[in-house]
Amino acid sequence: MIEARNLSKSYDREVYALRDMSLTVDKGEFVFLTGPSGAGKSTFLRLLLVKERASDGEISVNGHNLSTLSRSEVQEYRRGVGFIFQDFKLIPTRTVFENVAFVSEVLGVPPAQQQRRAFQVLKWVGLQHRMHAYPRELSGGEQQRIAIARALMNDPPLVIADEPTGNLDPDLSLEIMNLLREVNAGGTTVLVATHDRELIRLVGRRSVTLDHGRIVEMS
Amino acid sequence: MRALEYAFRHAWAGLWRSKVATVCAVLAIALATSVLGGLMLVSANVEQVLGRWRDGAEFSVFFRDDATSEQRGVVEGVLDQSGVVGGRAFVSKDEALVRFRREFAELASLASELPGNPFPASLEVRLLVAPDADGAGETLLRRVATLPGVSDVRYDRVWLERVGRGLETIRGIGFGLVLLLAAAAAVTVASVVRLGMQARRDEIEIMDLVGASAAYVRGPFVAEGLLQGGAGACIALVVVLVGYRTGMALWGESLTVAFDGLAPRFLSLGVCSAIVLGGMLVGSLGGAIASRR
Repeated sequence: MIEARNLSKSYDREVYALRDMSLTVDKGEFVFLTGPSGAGKSTFLRLLLVKERASDGEISVNGHNLSTLSRSEVQEYRRGVGFIFQDFKLIPTRTVFENVAFVSEVLGVPPAQQQRRAFQVLKWVGLQHRMHAYPRELSGGEQQRIAIARALMNDPPLVIADEPTGNLDPDLSLEIMNLLREVNAGGTTVLVATHDRELIRLVGRRSVTLDHGRIVEMS
Repeated sequence: MRALEYAFRHAWAGLWRSKVATVCAVLAIALATSVLGGLMLVSANVEQVLGRWRDGAEFSVFFRDDATSEQRGVVEGVLDQSGVVGGRAFVSKDEALVRFRREFAELASLASELPGNPFPASLEVRLLVAPDADGAGETLLRRVATLPGVSDVRYDRVWLERVGRGLETIRGIGFGLVLLLAAAAAVTVASVVRLGMQARRDEIEIMDLVGASAAYVRGPFVAEGLLQGGAGACIALVVVLVGYRTGMALWGESLTVAFDGLAPRFLSLGVCSAIVLGGMLVGSLGGAIASRR
């Protein structure tokens, strides 16, 4: 699913955010990416989202070499990737339902289909009863569940989460991780960047530890 | 079609959200297009009357007060034999005075105060257009001007060309000004659109991350500019129309006399449509530039 070979990313000649990183994530796998702040976790995720391009080496997802994608190919590729952020990135002026349906709306999906799918994913994360609420009316855990529902709108084969529990207490963090485990159980590849080692231990999946842009441990 | 519907729906919401900034942008476009509309209104009407005068180009041969009827006969003979004259009419000193009093009623008393009749007798000569085109009219004019008893010859076409050139210059300067104002309007629209983009940056980021096409990401901002431009141009047309109606109510008769009996007309439907489209183009250009990155 994800294949990184001798991947490097530097912002100038001396400073490397990632250095010579090689990693394979199989289809349907659940992998944690961990390490201290500045280890390169977010950089790797940004490369996966093609928000940035690698300085050296190669990274491919489902056979697509991300370094060589054109602008329109990037758009097409991103439609197959769900993303979840620490700060949720929900649109405050839209209701829960609109936030979730928004993804399909901007991809030109017919309204009836948008609504059907939005209701389906909201039900799946257990928040269909809050569909008319605004993000500010929700707790942190609920907001992150909405973000997960939004990430699943396109039924993507890959879900990327960057510190999805960073703003949540331990109980809610575990709840979110269980939800991601369920996503994974449906066959979706899940890659989660977190520095919370306790959470990794509780969930018990493969973890890749980065430090100063290099892989220092795989377990 | 769905992208278009999305763009206009969100553009409308965006404009509504930043009302004050939107009004500023619309007024900037209205100012630019008002100047353009006013310029086109004046220019079209002056052009129309110039065209009419050009078609009926005349020259006038003014006689000295002491010119004899034989000298007048020589002039008439030269004109008749030239082959470029379509007609001629003699206007005596008395007829010239009567005509002045009729056409410039408010100045009639001025003529009465003068000792004697100051207006010279003249021959009004209408040229055939075709022979004049190769310069035959000018040759005739030069010849007549040297004949005995003739004090002056005034050729319409010479001053018509001067007026035409003056009009071209004014039009050039006006269009330059319009271009400057249009650029300023586009910058204003771009600034307003940027404000809207700033307010919606999370939304834009999400759209970008889910792989939305440019039509969805940039479309609403281009549509915002287009709506602002269209609204500004419509306001400008209303302003020009009000100006035209007021002008006609105040000076309609004088303008009609000055325009040789042609009442000044408002801009044609085609020109009005072109102005609105121009406003929309400037606005959407501003929106497109602002949302380029």
